[in-house]
Amino acid sequence: MASLVALAGAVGVLGCAKQQEGGGTAANGGPAIKIGVYGPFTGGSSPMGLSMRDGVRLAADEINARGGVLGRKIELVERDDQATNERGAQVMQDLISNQKVVAVLGPINTGVALASYMYPMAAKVPLLINVSAGAPVNELFKDNPDNYVFRIAASDNIQAEMIIAEAVDKHGFKKVAFLCDDTNYGQNGCKKMNAAIASRGSKPIYEGKFKIKDTDMTPQLQQARAAGAEALLVYGIGPELAQIANGMQKLGYKVPMIGSWTLSMSNFIDAAKENGNGAAMPQTFIQNGASSEKAKKFIADYQKKYSVDRIPSAVSAAQGYDSTYLIAAAIEQAGSTDGPKVKAALESLQKPYDGVIASFDKPYGATDHEAIHKDKVVMGVVMNGQVQPPSATGASAPSSPGSPAPAPKQ
Amino acid sequence: MADLIQLILSGVALGMIYALLAFGYSITFSTSRTINFAQGEFLMLGALTGLTVDVRLHLGYVMAVAAAAGIGAVLGVVLERVAIRPALRTGSTVAWVLATVALGIVARNAAERIWGTDDSPFPAPLSSEPMRLGPIRVLPQEVLIIGIAGLIMIAVEIFRRRSIWGKAVTAVAADNEAAALAGINVPVTITASFVISSAIAAVSGVLVAPLTLAGPTMGTLLSTKAYAVAIVGGLQSGIGVIVGGLLIGLCEQFTARYISTGYKDTPGFILLILILLIKPAGIFGKRSIKKV
Repeated sequence: MASLVALAGAVGVLGCAKQQEGGGTAANGGPAIKIGVYGPFTGGSSPMGLSMRDGVRLAADEINARGGVLGRKIELVERDDQATNERGAQVMQDLISNQKVVAVLGPINTGVALASYMYPMAAKVPLLINVSAGAPVNELFKDNPDNYVFRIAASDNIQAEMIIAEAVDKHGFKKVAFLCDDTNYGQNGCKKMNAAIASRGSKPIYEGKFKIKDTDMTPQLQQARAAGAEALLVYGIGPELAQIANGMQKLGYKVPMIGSWTLSMSNFIDAAKENGNGAAMPQTFIQNGASSEKAKKFIADYQKKYSVDRIPSAVSAAQGYDSTYLIAAAIEQAGSTDGPKVKAALESLQKPYDGVIASFDKPYGATDHEAIHKDKVVMGVVMNGQVQPPSATGASAPSSPGSPAPAPKQ
Repeated sequence: MADLIQLILSGVALGMIYALLAFGYSITFSTSRTINFAQGEFLMLGALTGLTVDVRLHLGYVMAVAAAAGIGAVLGVVLERVAIRPALRTGSTVAWVLATVALGIVARNAAERIWGTDDSPFPAPLSSEPMRLGPIRVLPQEVLIIGIAGLIMIAVEIFRRRSIWGKAVTAVAADNEAAALAGINVPVTITASFVISSAIAAVSGVLVAPLTLAGPTMGTLLSTKAYAVAIVGGLQSGIGVIVGGLLIGLCEQFTARYISTGYKDTPGFILLILILLIKPAGIFGKRSIKKV
């Protein structure tokens, strides 16, 4: 009897030791590698923040299950920046100074990125932006030759250009109205769209603003209509974009809506319902258009792990997932968690990474910290509660129901 | 012309939402000289409770309104007991301000735990197709908001002026020591005012959610605007908050339409500052003389 108790005790101790190993320290390679993850886990941006975080978690769990990086486990240090700039700066300082993370993944919101990128830059810790489209990345080289900011997301430069190309070049609209939210994100997007349309010798016929949590878009839509806009080009996040779609339906104003990639957010699709049909946006990843084995496996794993059918923000989840693998690959190649070495490794990744979004072969260079270029982005269209791939461009994608090329008309 | 009427209608609908919340502020202010700074969170809890009752439990919109009123009433009692009564006993102003703000934060975090952080659509009880009156289009929900908000405010005003209970409230507002001497149960009257005010806030949540989406942060901005409305209209006047609500609602829409969408909120808050400078008790407020 006594021996049985002793045995149980021994098993218990072993179990504990094993658990501790998984939670923080690995036996062979030393302490866990801490990677910071920050984004909005609450509020209107949360579908992006949570999907990004869940994508990162999925990748980290896979990497750890395979034995980690450099024989050490990855430990994620997650912080909610609540989509507010001040909070973003605070959590970044906490990650860098207190948590001593090796690299940081995130954030979602442009304002948060602007308020926080200088801390990792100063501390020489790589920041791999995996969602924010408006954050400066290559622009930072001018004042920071030793640039620690990288991105794996379609930048606003690419997105604004694609939005204008869709409206002006493809559909031939002469009169377009811009509606952008008054955050750093929306205003930056508006500026980029202005530049893109100016390069075609044109300009928007009306430019309106709205605020986060605005629920009534009547004045903006009336002005766009009065100006005779043939299409609305929008930059904002899900809930307010849905209010625009719903407001158009209320006013009986039917023009195509083309805008930032955030038109693919679940809270836009759910809140706008049929009013959102036809809304078009640039996408790096479309759940319904996944064609590669890797992407299909990622979606299946995500659905299984988080018990959801539709990923709230598939773009964020996929970019979160790929960003984790890229940073892990850089640490592996550097053979160290030292910031400058990891940065150098990111800039010259030897092994191609077959990712969820695309295959990345040397995604970064010493002067180019953008992994996503125009060839990796397509226009998606909202149709009946889902983002559908454009059958015209996505030849390998499964065809969307209905007509072959859903034009962004209501 | 049609555009103008359309704009006025949307301004009125917006204004009535603000007025309804501001009305809640005025009810508690008139009995206890306190305001519930968690009003926006009560609105949000009402909306999310309603959402659960309506969508998850399939009990329909009327039950959602009833459930919201119920949860609002309970929250009112809790708030009065926990945050207001101890503060009134010690005579501290700071205490009730902080305590109600704190309860609001607790309520928001609790809602995030229970319902998640995302904004969800709330199915409209009436058709979501707009009604057409010539070139003018109105959503049935907007009419419902204007109608029900008006009815609630009229009902409470009649109650306040005609019934014996209402007179008790007025008496407590005028002088609570004298009211107590006359046999009015002052604490019960104050509790009742919080019950009514919180229930109104929660019901407004269910009313506005089909237009605004329901989520843990839905009440924050609305309650700030409503506070401005209450100050502009006069915290002690039922009519005042309606006028204040409409004034700010229309101001926002007209500024956005004819001046700039970027300055939408500015005139409302300039008005607030002007009122505070010129007539601190609000447009319809009576100046209260504080005896020492």
